[in-house]
Amino acid sequence: MRVEYINPFVESAYNVLKEVLNCQVNRGELYLKSTSTPVLGVAALVGLAGDVEGRILFDMSKETAIKVASVMNGEELKELDDLAKATITELANMITAQAVTKLHDLGFKFDLTPPAIFTGDNMEVTTAEVEALIVPMVIPYGKVEINVAIRERL
Amino acid sequence: MKTKMDFPAINDRRPEGLKEDGTPYRVLIVDDSMFVTKQIGQILTSEGFEIAGVASDGQEAIDKYKELYPNVDLVTMDITMPKMDGVTALEKIMEFDKNAKVVMISALGKQDLVKKSLLLGAKNYIVKPLDRKKVLERIVMSLKK
Repeated sequence: MRVEYINPFVESAYNVLKEVLNCQVNRGELYLKSTSTPVLGVAALVGLAGDVEGRILFDMSKETAIKVASVMNGEELKELDDLAKATITELANMITAQAVTKLHDLGFKFDLTPPAIFTGDNMEVTTAEVEALIVPMVIPYGKVEINVAIRERL
Repeated sequence: MKTKMDFPAINDRRPEGLKEDGTPYRVLIVDDSMFVTKQIGQILTSEGFEIAGVASDGQEAIDKYKELYPNVDLVTMDITMPKMDGVTALEKIMEFDKNAKVVMISALGKQDLVKKSLLLGAKNYIVKPLDRKKVLERIVMSLKK
């Protein structure tokens, strides 16, 4: 996978997290996975199809998701309820929209699926034939992993 | 003596959400995300606006608008929604009421749809992520248009 696909997502995740959470965001070390990747507990998945195809996963622990949703709503949420899920979905929407605008400007044309939220324990994601690049973003509430597996359409 | 006399009201500004006669502007919020609906609702009610109704897709937006009309002053309209998108709903609302004040709420990267909406009669647009200042500024501006 080409690194240029992931950079817009990392930049936009950094900007959006910083703006909506109003906190320090630190970028962790990028790593590559060609096999299954564990999912932390709450994952928002957005699919891409067009000149490039694949998916992006915004992955975090349940505790982090609840805290992030609480900050974004300006009230303390106790569990990952419908409002918390809608909040994480919106976060994924905002990050994706900003990144996709950059990729469109670079000349890549593709469509997106609405985010789907997966929750549960001991989950793994496998994207056959496409390596996943993962960039952890560290925030005061834990970490959000930006997990991108995209390839050019053959 | 009443305390009011001792403390002159230096912040005696009329909240943005109130009309000159002191009654609130009535807003219909259209968005399929519960989070965004709540966020816009909080920002507006904190400035005295009244939330006249909420709709989660384009068709519901049209139905609610017709139901509320003429007791609705402004609509915030999401663009991407299931069943019927916000641009189509805007078009139908403008057909029904050519003086409708609709503000589009858009994610980044929907410039073409925003442009189309403005041509169809939307008064303004707000790009997400939403913040209080941006939302109030655009909505107040649209009400004055």
